[in-house]
Amino acid sequence: MFACFYIPDFPVQAALLPEPAEARATLRQSPLAILDGPANLPRVFATNVPARRAGIQIGMTKLQVETYGGVRLRPRSLADEDSAQTALVNFAGKFSPRVESTCPGAVILDLAGTEKLLALRQNGLCENNSRAQTPRNQPPQTKFSSQEDFWQNAARAITTQAAEIGFDLRVAIAANPDTAFLAARGFSAQHFSPAIVIPAGEEAQRLASLPVDALPISPEMLEILKGWGILTFRALAALPTVAIVERLGHEGLYLQKFARGNVNRPLLTTTPDAEFIAAFEFDDPVETLESLFFVLHRLLHELCAKLLAAALAAQELRLTIGLEVRQIRSGNKEDEQYRHEWKLPVPTQDKNLLFGLLRLQLENTTLSAPIRRLLLEVVPVRPRVAQGNLFAPPSPEAEKLEITLERIRGVVGSADPNGIACVGSPSLVDTHQPGSFTVHNFSSDQNEERQCHREEERQCHPERSRLIREANQPEESKDLYSSRKSTEFTRVVALRMFRPVLETSVELDGEKPHFVRLWHRHRRVLAASGPWSTSGNWWSESAWTREEWDVALKTPAGLGFYRIFRDPIRQQWFVEGVFD
Amino acid sequence: MLSQNALLRSRIEQKLPSAFTVYRRPERGCIPTGIAQIDEAVQGVPLHALTEISGSNLASSGKTSLLTSLLAQATHDRYCALVDAGDSFDPTSGAAAGIHLPRLLWVRCGKTRVKLPPLEQAFKVADILLQSGGFGLLAVNLSEISERVVRKVPLSTWFRFSRVIEKYSAALVFVAEEPHATSCAGLVLRVGTAPPGEGLQAARLSRAGMIDCTAPFTGNLLTHLNLNVEVVRSREKKPAASEKCFEKYSQNYAQRTGFSLHTQWA
Repeated sequence: MFACFYIPDFPVQAALLPEPAEARATLRQSPLAILDGPANLPRVFATNVPARRAGIQIGMTKLQVETYGGVRLRPRSLADEDSAQTALVNFAGKFSPRVESTCPGAVILDLAGTEKLLALRQNGLCENNSRAQTPRNQPPQTKFSSQEDFWQNAARAITTQAAEIGFDLRVAIAANPDTAFLAARGFSAQHFSPAIVIPAGEEAQRLASLPVDALPISPEMLEILKGWGILTFRALAALPTVAIVERLGHEGLYLQKFARGNVNRPLLTTTPDAEFIAAFEFDDPVETLESLFFVLHRLLHELCAKLLAAALAAQELRLTIGLEVRQIRSGNKEDEQYRHEWKLPVPTQDKNLLFGLLRLQLENTTLSAPIRRLLLEVVPVRPRVAQGNLFAPPSPEAEKLEITLERIRGVVGSADPNGIACVGSPSLVDTHQPGSFTVHNFSSDQNEERQCHREEERQCHPERSRLIREANQPEESKDLYSSRKSTEFTRVVALRMFRPVLETSVELDGEKPHFVRLWHRHRRVLAASGPWSTSGNWWSESAWTREEWDVALKTPAGLGFYRIFRDPIRQQWFVEGVFD
Repeated sequence: MLSQNALLRSRIEQKLPSAFTVYRRPERGCIPTGIAQIDEAVQGVPLHALTEISGSNLASSGKTSLLTSLLAQATHDRYCALVDAGDSFDPTSGAAAGIHLPRLLWVRCGKTRVKLPPLEQAFKVADILLQSGGFGLLAVNLSEISERVVRKVPLSTWFRFSRVIEKYSAALVFVAEEPHATSCAGLVLRVGTAPPGEGLQAARLSRAGMIDCTAPFTGNLLTHLNLNVEVVRSREKKPAASEKCFEKYSQNYAQRTGFSLHTQWA
């Protein structure tokens, strides 16, 4: 069996597709006409049903339409139509791997072998059917009285899903592709309940009432047929074949085969669009965020609809903004680009979440020039299928976490002058240099924790790895004994760091520090432990060396144990932190 | 037949459903601090409440070590967030204390050229994290912020934090030089070096009147710190009703406990 998905008034539906669902529903109820043609004399190219009821006809000029009042006018957008057609092909790809993009607003798909898949999609009605051993091309019969009943239910599920992504779809199912196409395009809306199903052998009978205009026919041929009084498929199908060939040639024979539903041809299948990119170029450079957000929302809507249709989710989102920089002296225009990318902890299809990320980032960014063009790219992956873990600790909601982190970055910034992130999970680095650390992306996903742990282990030197292993070890991987002991942690004195380290001066008594200048006063050293010499990277420019002392200083508030060190390269003393 | 009182009450309740509802605080759980002496005294840091840990910034008071120990306990079975207003957290010390670092969200304030001062950044981030939810412990370290600046935080801010945290099964901990939340705090701990003459040998006066601090050093090595903690306020125990019972109160309630912490290499 073959199915044809047909979108009536395609230019109108394509123009409404980027609109939000509520706005789309409202616009569908009001008269809308699409204009095309030269800018000085645009004419009506397509209309919706309310517009036709109001008397708007194809070919009217803009001025004529404006006399009606209350009719919305939109210019035709080929880009919108292209993206709508792509979305339709991707949507059809959910039901069959063999899809033909027949013409704008129509696709034909081969349903052979997809009966079980369609049965599963009918709101779980056919769980038993999917398990039953049914022969190929035979729909499961357990719960449906007839084949037509099964296909009608399948069509209902298809139209419901199409409505979710913004298509008002007509579905026709027949034994050959062209019969399905002619039925979908030729019959009016009241014939679809919700689909037209034409069983094999009944094609001529079911198509008989269609007018000959529904055939893919040239105007000359149509004039000849109408001149003969041939107005319907029934009349054309009843004509003798030999006489048709004698008078109209092979084209006439082909049209008669169409009318009889006898045309069999292979599908010209298309491969689904694998790229998830949406672009937009402004006519005039944009300087306000409101205009930018409006377009970004629309682009994200397109991308998410595409992802939804392909049953994929966004793992990464990349934004490229083309800026217009005018060089007045040379008179040339030179484009700069602003780029940003988000790596999501959990794949998502939620356009509001993605839009939130974009909004937060752009609100905290100052661009150097007006915006000329936008490019949004999504790296698709399969959606996460995860089962809740009873033994996992309560964690921040993974889908909202990235938004939260982005909001925090908006407050504190992304990274410090050394390039270390300001927000994330701290991690130790495989080096002997004191105070070195890095900050990873924070994730509430257990798998991410394990990956992070493995990454650390791989990079780590065995001698240095003990702390890292203990700190980064996933809790569930610890054995029973260690988990019993886990509440009995070592009570360790923590070092409160001064970042950056404080420059200081030290008076020595022999080799030992005697007075340390701290907070603008010389403080007496009551006891000192050291020197502990360390050095590293002596083979490179980032060489470091230090002599550490742990000193007890007398302060007004009591004893203060500080860590100070001397840098022999810079010949300078520093206070690194206080044991607090 | 309804009495006049009941009739009036029902009419009011129709318009204001919660007018006669008695506000009950949620049942409190606790996160142990990992220091037995403190856990024995107050059972740990309370959930649904604001906790303050205070101690001197100049001297080695032990407030950072207490926070680190608390984070080590909390990250065992919770995700935690540390809002570090002065970027003073040492991951190496944290790892040595047993913090499960992948479960810790560390927010380093004041590191970029953002217009907001670090204190405001810290409070804003704490607000965002509270709204987000999902964290079992939210710690805000204000140690590096000047006492004068923190004192200017209006009481309404502390009150708002204490009311917000009541709704969540999480603990909100502020670490600063002095306590500021007053009655908004569910628990206030003051930590400091053990004073001389209390059996804690951290610092003792020698005959010459000089502080002899050789006790924390073993040979040439700093090995341990002897500290004490004072429970300044706790909602679990009733406050003193009058001056008469102040003695009893000060004995039972504002109790002081000593404990010892070891350095990583000891």
